[in-house]
Amino acid sequence: MTVQARELTKDYRYGFHDEDVSVFRTEKGISPEVVAAISQHKGEPEWMLRFRLKALDHFLRRPMPTWGADLSGIDFANIYYYIKPVEEQGRSWDDVPESIRLTFDRLGIPEAERKFLAGVSAQYDSEVVYHNIRADLAKLGVVFSDCDTGLREHEEIFRRYFGTVIPPNDNKFAALNSAVWSGGSFVYVPRGVRVEIPLQAYFRINSDNMGQFERTLIIAEEGSYVHYIEGCTAPTYSNDSLHAAVVEIIAQPGAHVRYTTIQNWSDNVYNLVTKRAIAKEGATVEWIDGNLGSKITMKYPSIYLMGEGAHGEILSAAFAGDGQHQDAGSKCIHAAPNTTSNVVSRSISKGRGRTSYRGHIKVLPRATNVQCHVRCDALLLDEESRSDTYPYMDIENPDVTFGHEATVSKVGEDQIFYLQSRGIEEQDATALIVNGFFEPFVKELPMEYAVELNRLLALSMEGSVG
Amino acid sequence: MTDVTVAEGAIARRRLGTLVDGGPAWLGDRRTAAWDAFTALPLPSSSRDEDWRRTDISKLRLGDFAPAGPAAEALVAAARARHARALPQAALVLCGPDGAVSVDHADSLLAQGVIVCPLQEAALRHPEVVRRGLSAVGVDGAYFAALWNALWAGGAFVYVPRGVEAMTPVWVSHLAPEAGAVSFPSTVVVVDERASLTLVEDRVGPGDAAPRLSVGVTALRVADQSRVDDIPVQQLPPGTWHFATRRAALAAGSRYRLLGATLGAGLEKAYWDVLLEGAGAEADVLAVCHARGRQHLDLQSLQLHRARDTRSNLLYKVAARDLARSVYSGLIDVERDAVHADGYVLNRNLLLSRGAVASGVPRLEIKANDVRCGHGNSVGHVDDEERFYLMARGVPAEEAERLIVTGFFADVIDRVSQESLREWLTALLAVEIAGAPAAEPEAATEDAAEPGGRGS
Repeated sequence: MTVQARELTKDYRYGFHDEDVSVFRTEKGISPEVVAAISQHKGEPEWMLRFRLKALDHFLRRPMPTWGADLSGIDFANIYYYIKPVEEQGRSWDDVPESIRLTFDRLGIPEAERKFLAGVSAQYDSEVVYHNIRADLAKLGVVFSDCDTGLREHEEIFRRYFGTVIPPNDNKFAALNSAVWSGGSFVYVPRGVRVEIPLQAYFRINSDNMGQFERTLIIAEEGSYVHYIEGCTAPTYSNDSLHAAVVEIIAQPGAHVRYTTIQNWSDNVYNLVTKRAIAKEGATVEWIDGNLGSKITMKYPSIYLMGEGAHGEILSAAFAGDGQHQDAGSKCIHAAPNTTSNVVSRSISKGRGRTSYRGHIKVLPRATNVQCHVRCDALLLDEESRSDTYPYMDIENPDVTFGHEATVSKVGEDQIFYLQSRGIEEQDATALIVNGFFEPFVKELPMEYAVELNRLLALSMEGSVG
Repeated sequence: MTDVTVAEGAIARRRLGTLVDGGPAWLGDRRTAAWDAFTALPLPSSSRDEDWRRTDISKLRLGDFAPAGPAAEALVAAARARHARALPQAALVLCGPDGAVSVDHADSLLAQGVIVCPLQEAALRHPEVVRRGLSAVGVDGAYFAALWNALWAGGAFVYVPRGVEAMTPVWVSHLAPEAGAVSFPSTVVVVDERASLTLVEDRVGPGDAAPRLSVGVTALRVADQSRVDDIPVQQLPPGTWHFATRRAALAAGSRYRLLGATLGAGLEKAYWDVLLEGAGAEADVLAVCHARGRQHLDLQSLQLHRARDTRSNLLYKVAARDLARSVYSGLIDVERDAVHADGYVLNRNLLLSRGAVASGVPRLEIKANDVRCGHGNSVGHVDDEERFYLMARGVPAEEAERLIVTGFFADVIDRVSQESLREWLTALLAVEIAGAPAAEPEAATEDAAEPGGRGS
């Protein structure tokens, strides 16, 4: 596989872009006028406009976070906050304008949909251009639409949950998203319904100097199950783009939500995302989070274990190549008795890449009989690479079993030597070891994604020497 | 009140002026630079400073603390008794809170050419060595280190010349200031090439809960191929605000071993920094901490790997009961040239009561690639099964818990090689574990805020 990969192009293969065909865009920069224009263009209810303007106020007042990656390169005035690519959303790919459809063809989305997905959403710049869900699921009452449609068609339930998991004043970038959000997914799974095959959303930035601010709200009612997958790519431009999403998940008692991300933005995208889930009694939430692309990612998927017996699982893999900084991690807040969580993080730095694991485990006083375990491992491939681990823990209940382990090492010379002695070239040996290192993550992906991820890794690993 | 306080206004400047005038010029410059840095720095804030995020000292009013007077005779006697019981063969350096220093039992060391004397005296007589010793501690970086650099007085100085293995340990006693006062305990140690030393640093005070302030620095410079065993014991009174920096700079092939016990103070923020500067330097930092009542004990460690083939290992075991809070943060920082560095941190916490809290941040920052680094961190409680096992054999429940906590600390304490010192530390811990109630707070004569509150 690695040999085959090496024959492929050396470039980021999703770096192409289409001609601008947008039908509407706000002027560059952010202001109350821009926010009002977005809301008006979408024909939103008054409460949402007020929500947006309040969020804008938070965004403008909050300082830039300085505790993590270097964000000084972001120029908020030089970004388009809303670009609408098409007039109407398509229900079939034939409804999607040809140039955009070709883009998604090249990304393999329609093919994947035919093969193994229960529903697909495809967002292009600020709006979802294609959306479809299998009829049998729709009949069971499963809602899978873009977030704007969710607001329009299910306002009551939308309003009950929207912004409750991540309030607009949570952090600067959540505030920005709350002010200018557009697109994303709204998922509602009724009580007891199990969506056995995944739903997928695909996010594509096409325009230069673009800010994409999709908003996702997933509500899984009692005893239901859903697996949501998102992927993302962007063209390679010399100017930086900004992606600041907000994802809120509510897992009602006994529900099980799995959220898988394969983040493969081009290396001119700042990816600053807030993702948080609430798990009620006996619910399970899993974040499967893979970060391969972007210039800088700051993303710490969180689980608030609010109900007795809730379980959280965070599995993340990060790869930082030359000039990339993956500042990723996790948070588990144990607020109820008998809750459990498990975090596994694997990261690899190559060239001048830097990976940082930043995590927080908190056990509140009333959360008795809690078990949590955190394991982070990092591999460094070059002299120039860097890896950091910042695991915070606050334990306020004595009745807890908490363990954390971390290691940082380079690819072992003895491992390479062993493989070389069996006739495997050094470069392929390194790739094999890297694949093995990411295995706990990859094996949780549906087969098609696992294959794709392995291929991407092989590409990223090109030219590296242990 | 205000005209007798330190670190605020005219009195502090007058004290600084006296110290500058009374010492060598280089030290005066150092004090002045430190004072300038200190006055420019704000009080560390839990909302602004990452290092202080879990330790809130906003209630500390430096201006409320007067300069310390001479130690009470009872305290001097208590400090001598600790030395006599634990390690009577050690040379004894008694450092009063006012800067008065006395040296006893040092004859055999002096005969070996070892220097054991007050730090201020050493600064005049052996300026080059003292400067070497102090060089690892910057004057202008951190708030309390800057304050100490400006205003320290008295203190202990130990120098072990090249090739000398100090025949007896050095026991430095730092006596707590009286109620409502501040002291600046200081220890500077320089161990030259292929030499060795065992240092015990005992911080002790009376049992009352009146507010006190202690701002200390211990600086150790360990030259090529030398060895230092460093045993800090902290048993300050429960009303004490304690800010301490302990910094060991290790040259090539040197070996540093710290065995610590942290038991006292109301609020402590301690920095234990190990700088592995020379190839092949090794450091083992092993410590126990017992926190009870409303104690808030914060240890921040640094293992800075600057050179190749360096190894560091830290084990920090904390038991917390009542409403006590333990905060541990540690950083293993591996610089680019430190190939084959091997660093490890393990922090284990045992929470004994509802209301006790343990927080931790064991960080890694790795910039070299051919390294092996890791950390572990755990929080647990006394296992019901263990308790049941012991109770089934006729051990009462409370006794069972005491046995389990004692066992938890044993793997650190058992590594103290001097038998009498080990037994003494075991006895100190036994008293803490048994939870003898702290002395009733004396009627506060000063209106200084007490530390150790949970900040609302």
